[in-house]
Amino acid sequence: MGRADSLAKLALAYGAHLTRRRLMRPRPQLHSLLETYAADGIRAVDSAERAQHPRLVTCINCGLCALAAGRLGKTRLPDLASSYMRLYARLGEASSDVEGETPDLAAAAAVCPVGLPLDEVAAVVRRISSR
Amino acid sequence: MSAASPYDVVVIGGGITGAGVARDLSLRGLSVLLLDKGDWGAGTTGASSWMIHGGPRYLEFDWDTTRLSCEDAGHIVTIARNLVYRVVFLIPVLPHDKNNIERMETAMEVYDRFQPLKKAHPHRRLTPEEALRAEPGLAPDLIGAVTMEEWGVDPHRLVFANVQDAVAHGVRALNHTRVTELIRDGGKVIGVRYRGPDGAVAEARARVIVNATGPWSPAVAAMAGAHVELRPAKGIHIVYPHRISNFSISAESIDGRDLLMVAHGGFTLLGTTDDDFYGDLDSVDVLQDEVDYLLQAFERVFPSIRDYRPVRTTTGVRPTLFKWRRYEDELSRRYQVIDHSKQGADGLISIAGGKLSMYRLMAEETSDAVCRKLGHQARSETSTRPLPGNESDPVAPAELAARCGIPALAAMKLQMRHGSNAEKVLDEGATSRILCRCEPVTESELIHAARHEQVRSLADAFRRVGIAAGPCAGAACILRAAEVVGRELGWSASQKFDAARDFVRGAWLGRAPVLGHAGWAQEELAQGAMRGLMVGDGTS
Repeated sequence: MGRADSLAKLALAYGAHLTRRRLMRPRPQLHSLLETYAADGIRAVDSAERAQHPRLVTCINCGLCALAAGRLGKTRLPDLASSYMRLYARLGEASSDVEGETPDLAAAAAVCPVGLPLDEVAAVVRRISSR
Repeated sequence: MSAASPYDVVVIGGGITGAGVARDLSLRGLSVLLLDKGDWGAGTTGASSWMIHGGPRYLEFDWDTTRLSCEDAGHIVTIARNLVYRVVFLIPVLPHDKNNIERMETAMEVYDRFQPLKKAHPHRRLTPEEALRAEPGLAPDLIGAVTMEEWGVDPHRLVFANVQDAVAHGVRALNHTRVTELIRDGGKVIGVRYRGPDGAVAEARARVIVNATGPWSPAVAAMAGAHVELRPAKGIHIVYPHRISNFSISAESIDGRDLLMVAHGGFTLLGTTDDDFYGDLDSVDVLQDEVDYLLQAFERVFPSIRDYRPVRTTTGVRPTLFKWRRYEDELSRRYQVIDHSKQGADGLISIAGGKLSMYRLMAEETSDAVCRKLGHQARSETSTRPLPGNESDPVAPAELAARCGIPALAAMKLQMRHGSNAEKVLDEGATSRILCRCEPVTESELIHAARHEQVRSLADAFRRVGIAAGPCAGAACILRAAEVVGRELGWSASQKFDAARDFVRGAWLGRAPVLGHAGWAQEELAQGAMRGLMVGDGTS
């Protein structure tokens, strides 16, 4: 099929679409979208988390925070920031890794060379993995 | 020179198409030798957008390509379940975009007809408020958005799964082995002469030679005096070592091209460019201009994009079929199986063009052509036969983690690469140590890769298990990885050192075009940590 055929069929579809839009009232679709993909871990983030996000993913895995504080649950602090915080869509399946004790995150954040707010990172990871 | 061995078929090129051809032919009972001058999938395949997609873009030019692509994507999704995951695009429409929201939704309505072929859901249309609730990072002046679903895939593992299954069915597969000559007898191509990684030269005779070398196919065909005409197109991606958004996002470039920010498992690919390429295929560099072109487009749609720190770039050359007087973007992604017998090279078949999403179909049609030539009656089984690791359902990651003493996240990542074979991989080396913490990758998996997955360098390990793919880009793990791989392959201390240095140098070349302020700071730290590696090699 050539380009002319393709464009003609698209033009026809466009006409049908415009007619449908005139005759039918649009319905909100966000809820059904999020419901469809919840099992794949594809979820909305809130505005506050979005605004913070670039700061939360700056870990360079230098390992200094591991020297300053213990583990979050079973997870070393550098792993929390460099691995878990990468927002794996299926993080819920790894929730057991971050359950348990919370170390001195302020001490860990104080030694971070890129100024990562580890308390916020821990909160986000726990929230995502608990969904 | 070692003696010639007789095969039914020699396949040159171990990208996704060549690996697919080798697998297909081996399942049909033919004896096959598969050769690649580099590593499996290290060329065009690995530099792709990591997607099995139907290509709604082709609806403007060629609906058949969209249909074929969706059909084959459906087969790939079925046979490689562990390697694929849903990628959901938000396509925001902004003022002054070339397509208004109604045209955009029309395209998605048409595309919805093809979506069931690849087991995907139909589109949704979102108001500006809904789009911003789904992804608050979008530009606030958007007019609306539509969604589109595709599949993400790890192309390196997809290639290797094909190689692995081919080997299990009798194929001899040699990476880092360059074909130096096509052996001819009058007007017939009867074999290949090749040089292995140790420099030794050998010959292999075969009844048919398949040239599946992508953008290199004109050069390989020319060895037999035959002709393949391509219009090679360069594409680059920027790689971010984290998921920037749960949604993938499309953007329109300044020249009206559709660009994509694709949310993969734990990283984001932003691309791609599409430019005619006339240079050296073995030395393709990313230019700062290309990076700026991509960022300019995404900044308009996703204003905070420059706040994120990329970790590297990738680049490759598409083997697009030749066509005169068209923009690169409008060129068909169709493919062509070429029998060179009329060009005085009987026995040589080239497969040219195509794309990752149609690799299985391309391999099947190429294999059909080979079988016709050989008079071999056997049908392709690759549309239904699972790739290794997909024969049964894997256990839950937490269960595997508890059984093997590794983090659940490591178990999950391991299963994404190996499917139901993950536990067997962990048995290798009897250690639960996490070697690369960003990904994370276990030492057992790396040992397994060195022993059973033809890893010959740290770059091979990067492709096979994702080592050094995370935010630290290898600063924290590459020396440990060199130790483990070196131990398995019998490297001396200096060979381990050289391997790590080669990897760092290669990684640097891909990273330099995207280093911003924070990137340079990390680079300083990494260079400091690996100061011994960098002495005298000009990169410090």
